[in-house]
Amino acid sequence: MMGKNDRIVLPERVYRVFEVLLGLGGRAPTEELARSLGRKVSDIQRDLAELERLGLIKVIKEVSKRPELTPEGVEALENGLPEVRVLNALDALGGEAPISELVRESGIDDKELKAALGRLRRAGLVEIRGGVVRLIETDRTHFLESVSEIIKGLKEVAEGRYPPIFGELKKRRLVREVVSKTQVVEVTEKGALAWKENRVMMARVITALTPEIIKSGEWKGAEFKEFDLSIDVPTIYPVRKHPYVYFLQRVREILVGMGFVEVKGPHIESELLNFDALFVPQYHPARRGTDVYFVKGLPRLEGVSRELIERVREVHERGWRYRWSPERALRLVLRTHTTPVSVRTMMERGEGEYRVFSLDRVFRPDTPDPTHLMEFHQLEGIIVGRRVTFRHLLGFFTELAKELELGDVMFRPAYFPFTEPSVEGYIKHPKLGWIEVFPGGMFRPEVIKAAGLSGVNVAAWGIGIDRIAMLVLGINDIRDLYTNNIIKIRSVPYPKEVMR
Amino acid sequence: MPVVEVQLWDVARVADTDMSLDEIEQVLTVLKAEVEEVSDDTLTYEASHDRPDLYSAEGLGRAAAIYLGKRRRQGRYDVRGPVTELDISSAPKYRPYAFLAIVRGVRLDDEAIRQLFQLQEKLHLSHCGDRALVSIGLYDLDKLRPPFRYVAVEDAEFVPLGYDTPMSLSEVLEKTEKGVKYAHLVKRGEYPLLVDSSGEVMSFPPILNSEENKVTEETRNVLIDVTGTEPWLMLKVLNIVTTSVLERGYGEAVVESVKIVGAEGAPEVTPDLRGTVLRVGLSDVNDLIGWVGSTDDVRVVLERMGYSVEEVTRDVVVVWAPPWRADVLSWVDVAEDIAAGYGYGRLRPEALPPTHWGREHLLERVSSVLRDIMLGLGFNEVVNYMLIDAGLLRELGYERFVEIENPKMVTYSAVRPSLLPSMILTVKENTELTPPLKVFEIGDAVALEDKEPITYRGLGFAIANTKLSLTDGLVIVKALFRALGADVSLRPGDAPPTIAGRTASIIVNDKVVGAVGEVHPRVLNTLGIEYPVVAGELVLNDVAEALGIGEAPKLSPKP
Repeated sequence: MMGKNDRIVLPERVYRVFEVLLGLGGRAPTEELARSLGRKVSDIQRDLAELERLGLIKVIKEVSKRPELTPEGVEALENGLPEVRVLNALDALGGEAPISELVRESGIDDKELKAALGRLRRAGLVEIRGGVVRLIETDRTHFLESVSEIIKGLKEVAEGRYPPIFGELKKRRLVREVVSKTQVVEVTEKGALAWKENRVMMARVITALTPEIIKSGEWKGAEFKEFDLSIDVPTIYPVRKHPYVYFLQRVREILVGMGFVEVKGPHIESELLNFDALFVPQYHPARRGTDVYFVKGLPRLEGVSRELIERVREVHERGWRYRWSPERALRLVLRTHTTPVSVRTMMERGEGEYRVFSLDRVFRPDTPDPTHLMEFHQLEGIIVGRRVTFRHLLGFFTELAKELELGDVMFRPAYFPFTEPSVEGYIKHPKLGWIEVFPGGMFRPEVIKAAGLSGVNVAAWGIGIDRIAMLVLGINDIRDLYTNNIIKIRSVPYPKEVMR
Repeated sequence: MPVVEVQLWDVARVADTDMSLDEIEQVLTVLKAEVEEVSDDTLTYEASHDRPDLYSAEGLGRAAAIYLGKRRRQGRYDVRGPVTELDISSAPKYRPYAFLAIVRGVRLDDEAIRQLFQLQEKLHLSHCGDRALVSIGLYDLDKLRPPFRYVAVEDAEFVPLGYDTPMSLSEVLEKTEKGVKYAHLVKRGEYPLLVDSSGEVMSFPPILNSEENKVTEETRNVLIDVTGTEPWLMLKVLNIVTTSVLERGYGEAVVESVKIVGAEGAPEVTPDLRGTVLRVGLSDVNDLIGWVGSTDDVRVVLERMGYSVEEVTRDVVVVWAPPWRADVLSWVDVAEDIAAGYGYGRLRPEALPPTHWGREHLLERVSSVLRDIMLGLGFNEVVNYMLIDAGLLRELGYERFVEIENPKMVTYSAVRPSLLPSMILTVKENTELTPPLKVFEIGDAVALEDKEPITYRGLGFAIANTKLSLTDGLVIVKALFRALGADVSLRPGDAPPTIAGRTASIIVNDKVVGAVGEVHPRVLNTLGIEYPVVAGELVLNDVAEALGIGEAPKLSPKP
């Protein structure tokens, strides 16, 4: 409980309300107070409630009534009462006229006219027979007095006063009563006294803490400004890992988890490793300029071992029976797939039991559009071993699809020059139906032989991972995977798939 | 892969049986083809490159009828003859071979001719190396007088297909569309020519046939030629065309052979429709596929795929592959047909538990750590293409880089020799953003070292701001290596797009691992960049070595 002589500390906003109210004479309707504060009535209600709680003001809700003319009342005041106008019209028409003519002469509508005639008849001033109205010769004094009484009453109402005959006027719908509720606030005696004794103080409001406020303890007597949560804050973005890189790392994690060791190879390859070692005949359409980027102006590859050249020559000339050209094989190209990386690995590691993958870029001539690019990432891999079978390859695809949450997988026969049997794995896309995502097969004996191996099976695949990345990241344009545009990068939400 | 268009009624006519669209689609799937479109009676599909026999309605009708069990398995082909000769002793040296085959008793209509034309076109584009290796021709035999000669001539005159006046061979090369397109395949004054015994020109291969003896709806007896440089391939192509034309006899046509005279390294009689006999060990199939069915399965499946099974025991199957199965080279091809014919969907996928621990590549692990540091330093990661505009590289000051001989667009006509150009392009791309801009990329680039293209892993970064100097770049480099527990020393350096004298080489443990510098205003003006830019690059292979993390050699194309 607040003592009699205590200081009363008000937040600045509340203090202002109290101060302005005192300036208005200590009493004012809320509207007026709000107007003087430059605030809305609804905005100061909380402050008023606070001041009332402290006993500094009283909030008085008042109901006030005042009389008001109806449109009929206004009309009567301006042009006279209808019955007077009818009487004047009858006089002008020689004391007798049909109702229709009276309407025209008096300018009063049909319904009003009938009510006026009723009043005149009751006053004994007219009689009506067969639609004809006739004046009765009689004394009009009493009638005219009552008329002037009514006009006087209307004038008083127009000035905001209640005349003695207000009830009668209201019955004739010439006037009405308007009821309005108003709120008035009034400084209490206690409030006035506290103000007079300078005991009402403005509290310091803290909008942001500073080291000084914390160190001085100043915050103890202060008020924390209430935070307006409706106001928008500035937009900022985290610097972030590129969404595509995020996805590629997830793929790496999956492959590593499946026991694969990552390997890398050069982006510029000889045709020898990109095609010939893979048993693709030199006349194959996939080796033409429409499908391969050739390197300009560099010498052919040197220092290739005789053994490799001869092994490759043998499988080509025996298998395809044409003149194989080593010169052609030593031309440099931008690798069209990462399969040469697998070939390199086989040449290096030989006939053991191993599984490797690579996840890097390859190049094929194309014009960029939402579904094509001239470079893209390939997830390449091989499983080498004596007991590795085609069914293990299908098993790998099934497992990978499960890890990447791609749903059901379907397998169909396919053709790749370096695998036999070959397979294409399809996944079911919610919109596009079955789409090809997993191409692979068992390396042909010719390929294994060209790499210098024998007695092992090699399950191999080369997945265009971009397409799967688009599905997982919800990106519809492949070019957006390779974007250097920071606004675009920010717009891609982190996919839930990579967090599971 | 070639896209083939056929009429369903025509396929059914060849197959001599009605087939539903579903049945045909099922067959196409097993035969590695993919339906592209069906509208009314027209079916369009993409045929697999290894099944050239499916490049027209003849082969599809045949394969479908056999697969669906509506035609008896393919029997051996009877070939009569040789009935005449082809002398190739005076052939041009650069295109030395020509072979012939005859099919008697065909019935052709407009659609049949269209299909045979499509077959030739698709073969020309694929297996024939766009006519460089093989070219094909069909003739109305009754308009010709055997025997035939394939000769080199200085010039000659004939009415080319689709024209109505005679032209000299040199005119053909200049005035006809095919002549212009394939002129590079012939030598001036040593033109290949196919003629009959009356001297009538049949064809100027590989350019155009004669209008006079072309195949029409009236043709009953067809002569087929292949000319070219690769005999084995030519024979395969000849077999596919011959057996396809044979289908147009609807069971009543016969094949006749021709003796080939005067060539070395060529068969004496063509065509050779004997097919291939292969012995396939079933345990080998089981080792490769992880499954092999019963002997009954194997027989049924292989015969559906067009083979004739001569013998099947528990250990071995002996099959005859018809001459139109150009793809069957060895036992693995038969193994695939066993699996495909049985149905890949019926093979149970099998998990193979790992035998070793998996591991990311060293460079990827180093990349991950550096990525974390760069993000921590407030840099946004971007990704750029490795392909870049060769002209832009030159403008940036690069002289040596891998350039593409056959680019599709100048924008992508070279391989980036460094991450720096990508960083500068990134700044340009993001000029709308309020500075400062801080970006980085970790990716591969290909440097040319003594004319040898070498792939390395780089980290590129750039800062763009209204007020900026080399100091801002050095701060980053030092912070990065401090986080890695290493000291950096600096030396004046250079990089093509930066200002000489305001560029530093970054040295860690006596090894140069990168450079950072202020981008030259000339470069900024060229690209329309209005802020100062500091850009740098670290070579992660060198960083890994300098810090003693491990060996991560840069990669050359040498095997």
